[in-house]
Amino acid sequence: MSHPLLEVRGLSIRFGGLVAVAEVDLTLNHSEVVCIIGPNGAGKSTLFNLISGIYRPTHGSMKLEGKDITGWPAHRIAAAGIARTFQSSRLFNDLTLLDNVLIGMHTRTRSGVFDALLRPATARAELEAAAARAGELLHAVSPQLHARRHTLAGALPQADRRRLEIVRALASEPRVIMLDEPSSGMDDRDTDGLMADVRRVMAERPGLSFLIIEHDMRLVAALPDRVAVIDYGRKIADGDFSQVRLMPRVQEAYLGQKAAHHA
Amino acid sequence: MSQTGIHVEAPVERSGTSLDASIVVAVELGSAVLLGAFLLSEQTAIVVLLLAVMGAIFGLLQWRPAFEERIVAAFHDQQQLAIALGAVIVMVYPFFMQGSSYALHLLIVAQLYAVLALALNFQLGSANIPNFATGASYGIGAYTSALLAINFGVSFWLTLPVAAVVATIFGFLLGFPSMRTKDSYLALVTIAFGIVVHQLLNNFSWTGGANGLVGIPAPSLFGHSFTRPIEVLGFRLPSQANFYYLSAALVGLSIIAARRLHNSRVGLAWNALRADPLAARCQGIDIVWYKMLAFGVDAFLAAFAGTIYAFYVSYISPDNFTFLVSVTIMTMVIVGGMDNTLGVIIGAFLLTMLPEKLRIFSDYRLLFVGVVVILFLILRPQGLFPQRARNYGAHR
Amino acid sequence: MDALLMQHLLNWLVLGSIYTLIALGFSLLFGVLNVIHFSHGDVAMVGPFIALAIVQAVTAMAMPLGASAALLVAILAAMAAIGLLGVLLDWLVIRRFRTSPAMMALVATVALGTVIREMIRTLYPQGSNPKPFPAIATGVIQIGDVVIPVFSLIVIGVSVAMVAALFALISHTPVGVRIRAVAEDLSIARLMAVRPDRIFAVTFFIASAVGAIGAVFFVSHAGVVRFDFGIQLGLIGFSAAVIGGLGSMNGAILGSLLIAGVDVLVQVLVPDGASYRLVFIFMLTILVLVFKPSGMLGKPVFEKV
Repeated sequence: MSHPLLEVRGLSIRFGGLVAVAEVDLTLNHSEVVCIIGPNGAGKSTLFNLISGIYRPTHGSMKLEGKDITGWPAHRIAAAGIARTFQSSRLFNDLTLLDNVLIGMHTRTRSGVFDALLRPATARAELEAAAARAGELLHAVSPQLHARRHTLAGALPQADRRRLEIVRALASEPRVIMLDEPSSGMDDRDTDGLMADVRRVMAERPGLSFLIIEHDMRLVAALPDRVAVIDYGRKIADGDFSQVRLMPRVQEAYLGQKAAHHA
Repeated sequence: MSQTGIHVEAPVERSGTSLDASIVVAVELGSAVLLGAFLLSEQTAIVVLLLAVMGAIFGLLQWRPAFEERIVAAFHDQQQLAIALGAVIVMVYPFFMQGSSYALHLLIVAQLYAVLALALNFQLGSANIPNFATGASYGIGAYTSALLAINFGVSFWLTLPVAAVVATIFGFLLGFPSMRTKDSYLALVTIAFGIVVHQLLNNFSWTGGANGLVGIPAPSLFGHSFTRPIEVLGFRLPSQANFYYLSAALVGLSIIAARRLHNSRVGLAWNALRADPLAARCQGIDIVWYKMLAFGVDAFLAAFAGTIYAFYVSYISPDNFTFLVSVTIMTMVIVGGMDNTLGVIIGAFLLTMLPEKLRIFSDYRLLFVGVVVILFLILRPQGLFPQRARNYGAHR
Repeated sequence: MDALLMQHLLNWLVLGSIYTLIALGFSLLFGVLNVIHFSHGDVAMVGPFIALAIVQAVTAMAMPLGASAALLVAILAAMAAIGLLGVLLDWLVIRRFRTSPAMMALVATVALGTVIREMIRTLYPQGSNPKPFPAIATGVIQIGDVVIPVFSLIVIGVSVAMVAALFALISHTPVGVRIRAVAEDLSIARLMAVRPDRIFAVTFFIASAVGAIGAVFFVSHAGVVRFDFGIQLGLIGFSAAVIGGLGSMNGAILGSLLIAGVDVLVQVLVPDGASYRLVFIFMLTILVLVFKPSGMLGKPVFEKV
């Protein structure tokens, strides 16, 4: 494969006087898992928002499989194959689990308003088929979730909300899935469960690449192929975690200059 | 569990089939009788009594949600019976109105408002777009068809699609600013549009100005003019019956459209847009398009209602289509139940008939509506009949 | 200066002042309570009715007060009464929507406006009919061949004074500091022992009272008052606040002057302009909102993702 899957070059955004992300280069290859780490407020979520099209960059470029997607609006980027979750699990709370996943399939279904009104049988058939697939997806990740698929998403506990959001993201059959702090608020047991889920998804979908923002170092040590460190909006390191964590610049970022010297 | 891991209920031998049928028949006939009694009663005491009965039934359904579920399941199982019986009841209803043209008039107005409420429901109920300009779309539909009929002699049936198209264009124009504005600002934009339309209708001489348009010719179908009473099998229905059937047909079409859109990819996209526009965008939903679509669909249906209204009363003026009319329609959606087809229709019927029937309160009608809205928003914001979760073929 | 031009200028400033008094209320309520109080115009419009009632009562009781003094007392009393009415409505209805989605609060306040209008109409004797409202001042001042109505001077003067007082209050008094704190960050303000309920009440009082005097000027300028004048005045005031940027006091002033400018220009330049003024005003509003959704001086809100 000549192209990397996702290629980000010199990506920058400023809000007024504040430069939130500056000149970030990032490459994501097929079937790769990259973790984005860095201290709080470093701009990691902002980077995600740039890549997923919620923000438009002020400088820089993004390419997905060689195709320029710079400045594309969020819904086009989703259709192109980049899916994401949010730090605070933005589910559609007053809709059922199944509906949530179905909406995730929006880009893989086609019926528009005229189909719905004038060719209801076809539209309905497509929707029911999608619902069946959605059910399967849910079941593959969690039979418990599948059993509750007709209940409202708002009623789910935290760990299940994360799971549902991941299922919803997978429903669009993406090439890249971005997880924003999936383990935040979880205890060790839930985090282990999450890692197992992610590994299972990786195994079932060999071509899929992951971009994960994480703070939990257990996860960061075990899961990704590579790690990229962001500090003050800039990428300061990129490579294998065992090497990156020893770099003085990285330690400075997390611990502060003085402490890093002593570490 | 089957191969795909999806649990499918094995078809249960439901000896309840006849029970289901009885439930459907009882509910439909009971509602028809209740509505009829309400329409025909002259004395306030009886009206209040009937209201109490309705309130009690509603209370019962709230207290024992299982009843409501059972009824819904029965209707689901016996869908064809429900539709057939419903159609029959609607067809023969005027014959039971004791020749009262007033009762028919109320039904017509209630049905037209039901259509308007259903139209707004796409935006307000499904997509949470505050549109205060439905009255304007209603008016544009009415004026377009009236002008075509008066000035160019176009037949009613032809003006219908034309008015709908014109109003839809207006709807898209209205939706255009919705791209960048949100929530309260969007509400203000729709209010502003409504006022602009109202003022323009008031000022232009070719729309009749403040005096409006008179002399809109009555429609006719296969030579039968709608001003003539209907005579069938020796029974004689007042001429209003013509418009009753027309508006009932429109309600039927609207219900079909509402159900098809709700249970479709479009309806889901609207709901996503309502729940969390940002997350919706990240699922690939083009929220600009879906917002515009909601405006367009609302205007399209509202125009149909406006056209029928214009030809029914044969006289329209800008004051029929003010901001307050839009607020009334919004009230029906809120009180009836956001994103619930039946709820919205009931809301429309209730809010049309109650002020008429409680005659002594007629001067306080608007006050009553306002207080009711506020109370509902405080106590029961989801409306009388909240939205129902979707089914995908599986029974629960 | 050309007498006609002067007249138009004065007209602009008078209307601008009136709209500012209403728009300030909207901006204040949005900035501090994050509520769009759609019924603000109708609440303000209760003011002239109360003033009228007091004037009539005073006349009926044949108290030894001159007509102007009676009117002045009536207006002051009305301001206080409307201030209290605002607080009452917040306590009764509006505060229940503090944590609701914006849409619900919006529809609720629209409905509240209807309720207030209808209560005026049903409670005030013959409420449906327009009532003449006395002129606050009828004299003129003549400078050269320029004729300046005293009324215009009063309106402009009082408005400027009120705006200045409001700015002073917000910037230089302890209460003002607390108001700004609440407007900026409610949770932090709470931590600093600010009682939000008190601040909300104060804000409602100020906004409503200032709005009341705006309404009084409006009806005195028009010569009549009707129960539903609040709709139009409220909508124009709201548009002015939105155009300027909701929450920004400077924006309220700017927006009001802009709208008043359009109002006067349309009446002067467009044939039969008086019938079209609302069209132009609201088209302007729509245009501004399309190109600058947060208003001209408003800060764009960044949603934290």
